[in-house]
Parts: sequence; structure tokens; C-alpha cells
Amino acid sequence: MSLDLVFTSIRELSTLIREGKISSTELTEVFLNRLEELGSRYNAVVTVTRKRAMEQAKRAEEEISSGVYRGPLHGIPYGAKDLLATSGGIPTTWGAAPYRDQAFDYDATVIRKLEEAGAVLSAKLAMIELAGGMGYRQPNASFTGPPRNPWNPRMWTGGSSSGSGAAVSAGMVPFAIGSETWGSILSPANNCGVSGLRPTYGRVSRYGAMALSWTLDKLGPLCLTADDCGLVLEAIAGADAKDPTTADLTFKYNDSLPKHFKLAVFNGVTEDIQDEIRENFERSLTVLGKVATVEEIEIPDFPYEAITRTILNAESFSAFEDFIEGGRTSELTAPEDHYGPFARSVVLARDYLRAIRLRGVMSRIVDESMAPYDAVAAPSRQSAATPVDEVFRREAPGTARDIMGAVGNGAGLPSISVPNGFAGEGLPTGIQFMGRAFDENKIIAIARTYQSLTDWHKKHPPIGH
Amino acid sequence: MVMQGTASKDYEVLFNAVKNRYGSRINAEELEEVRKAVERIAEASELLRSVELKNGDEPFLILKPYKGKD
Repeated sequence: MSLDLVFTSIRELSTLIREGKISSTELTEVFLNRLEELGSRYNAVVTVTRKRAMEQAKRAEEEISSGVYRGPLHGIPYGAKDLLATSGGIPTTWGAAPYRDQAFDYDATVIRKLEEAGAVLSAKLAMIELAGGMGYRQPNASFTGPPRNPWNPRMWTGGSSSGSGAAVSAGMVPFAIGSETWGSILSPANNCGVSGLRPTYGRVSRYGAMALSWTLDKLGPLCLTADDCGLVLEAIAGADAKDPTTADLTFKYNDSLPKHFKLAVFNGVTEDIQDEIRENFERSLTVLGKVATVEEIEIPDFPYEAITRTILNAESFSAFEDFIEGGRTSELTAPEDHYGPFARSVVLARDYLRAIRLRGVMSRIVDESMAPYDAVAAPSRQSAATPVDEVFRREAPGTARDIMGAVGNGAGLPSISVPNGFAGEGLPTGIQFMGRAFDENKIIAIARTYQSLTDWHKKHPPIGH
Repeated sequence: MVMQGTASKDYEVLFNAVKNRYGSRINAEELEEVRKAVERIAEASELLRSVELKNGDEPFLILKPYKGKD
């Protein structure tokens, strides 16, 4: 088996498949073996879906041989975060011990769309229990074990799409589907050194995905390249009658690259971050200076974090109200998840409504600030990956400043994180480009341009066989 | 942050409500963590209430009335 194959982009793999240089079944076998070999090493996999994968791969092979080619995902293996419903007796565990035997008799819309695109479901991937929504503060918060980083297994992957980040990083799948309520795609993308795209809220159907916060949850791809993120988004995006919050818009990936960009950086965004993160970010801006103007801008003073945090607190409590009231949080893995959601039971209706009224004001303020620019750039996270056996957050969520996260998720804006260097003990760092609503093509183009000027995305963890 | 507005008056009431409802499930150390979380919720409420809203500032909610198949 060539190691190069497992660290090959979707675009390149699709060319190999289309040209008959490798079949879908051969390719799928490579990745299934890798999932089975490495999945438990990094606690990245819940279920390897071998039977379904080989059926889908065989079908893809027959179709392609007969001249039916569905597109760049045809015959390409992938993993799905284990909050996406999958039929056929495949468990959908939500990363949580109380749900380890849960199974649905239908597929989430994203799973169905990927099947229609010819992609091959190869694994359900590990995640932080209940998408991190019960207030976890340290990585050991999954019934599958603490998620280990392929770059350094003593460090964690980030979450809550922990398995999705690890699986792509370690070459277990060419792409994975993750989800983000607040940080759960960008965090593992950053920590694991892969490209992760959080689409605009409503771009991708949430039907069949575990709900943590109905107005904050988004589904998106983690891949080896920004270009691959565009290919996957085109396959999974679109209106869905089963999810009335989906936008009545199609997404056509435009892979042309503009010659010049205008980037903004929010004033103060590099305060209170690790020195190496700041250095890598500033170096990235210098590189981007070849193709972009970069301007530091003020963002109006507004309670961004309080707005998004109040929405998350109220909705996450409600989404799991019966579970919490029934005392089942005591069965979760992270001790702090046993009591983490209790306080949220007293978010008053008047404050939730105030938060979602302020959300509208916030969205207009932020869009006005962003309108003159193609995107806002920032470090993807404030730190590189931390040890798997240490807290990464001293107190329950709500104390640290995270204006990009609060604004991006509260206003439902898209963002893409791509690797931009290393810090500490050889751990990846990332830069994110956040766009205005539905500007995925713009931010993907910026990220692709950055990747054409750098080679961070071509570096892979030293795993071998 | 020192709460000074209406949220500070709510804080004790809110914490007691949580304590009454869930106190039997957790130990003293966990209850203290819950107390801090309630405090943060109250602080967030105070920040939200510090921003003036006009009647025309509607919630970002869209109701799409549902009708199943005939």
C-alpha cells in the first residue's frame, strides 16, 4: 500500500478512479484497512461500516465502468461524525454511553446526498459526547476514549468532531463530515492540521443530525485541502423539505481563483493567544500580502459572546431536557458533564428572546463591518492542541473571549480553517477565513490561494503503517 | 464582573431554583461549579439587558407553517 495514496486529495483520487488507475473497491479496501488498523490507536472510530462500504464501492465501480460518472466524490470513501443517522443497523451513538446502542432506520440527508454523489460511507467517527454540549472541560469526554492527536498522541484532537479531524489527519479517510455549534469543526481542523469548513447556517440540511442547538448547528467537511472542502460542500448543500431552516439556495462550487483579495483582521484578535500562534498568523498575513490587502478594523463593542452563549445555553438545555431531567447525565463520561447543564435550566425566556433579537442587530452590525472585505482572517484557535489528560478550559464555557466564534456562529457565518504552521511539540496551528453569509466560494478561494503559496497542508503526521 | 442591574436581583432566586431542583444529585464541590455557571448566566443576562432594543428589533426567527401530504 502506498502511503501517498492515503494522503491524496479527493480531486487527485477522483482522477485516478475516473482514469481507471485504481478502482473504488481497491481504494475503499485501503481506507477500511487503515480505519481498522489506526482507529482504535487514536480513539477516532466508533464503527467501521465495512459491509455498506464495499457494497457502495462495488456499485460505484460498476457504474463508472459502464460510463455513469456521478462526479468527483464517486467511489471516494468518507467518514461521518457519529451524530448523523445511518440506516441498516449501523449505530448512531452521539459519542455518549447512554446512546451506544442507538440506531435509526433512516439516513440523515447529508448521508443520502453523499450516497447520491457516489461517495462510500466507510466509518462512523468518534465525537465528544453530545457534541460537547454538556460543558466538558477536558478531552476524556467520549465513551470511545479520549481522542488522540495523530501528530502527537499525548495531545488531543480538539472537538467535538474529534474523530473527523483525526481520521482525515491520519489518512484513514480522504474526507469526513463534522458539525459545528461553536468551534467543533474549526477546533479539530486546527489541532489535527487539516482543512475544515463551517458553512453558512442553513446551507446544509440538519435532518437526521443530532440537535444540540437548533439555530447554531451546522454540518460541514474536513478534508486535506480547501479545494476538497468545496467539492464536498457542493455535494451536501441545498434546500431540504425535511429541514425547513435550509436556505432555498443551491451551492455551485466555483474553483476559479481571483487575483486579489481584501482581508480584514478584527482589532485585538491576537491578544491572549499563544506566542507561536500569533507568530504563525502574522507570517501567514505576510504571505497573503502578495495577493491581498490586509487591514485591521474595529468591530463595534457589543455583547457578542453573551448573545451566542445565551442562545446555546437555552437551546442545548431544551434539546436534552428530558435526558437531563431523567438523571441520565450521570451516565456520561466526563464528570463535569454530569452537572454541566443544570444551570442552563434557569435561562429566562425573556433573556433567550432578547438574545435572538440582539442576534439580528449583531448580524447587521457585523455584516456592515465585513461588507468592504472578502473575508475576515484570524487564528483558527487561541492555542495548539493540549494534553489529552489535562483540562483545556479552567471553568465552564462562557468565560473566555472568542469573538470570531461568537460572531461567526451567532450570526451563522461561514469560516474555513487551514493549516498555517506548527507550535510547541510539533503541533499544527491554523488560520481561518470567515466570510459574509453564503460567501463560501470566496473563503474557499482565499484558503486555496493560501495553500498555493504554502505547503503546510502537504505535511502529514509521521504514522506510517 | 459585579452585577448591578436586574440580573443581580435574579441571581439568588435562580441559583436557589437550580439548587432545589438538582441539589440532591450533586456534591458540594459540583454545586459550587453550578453556582458559578448560574452567575455567568446572570452576568450574560445583564449584558444583554444593557443594550437598548426597539420594538422593531424582531427575533431572528422564521416560522414556516407546516402542512403534510394530502
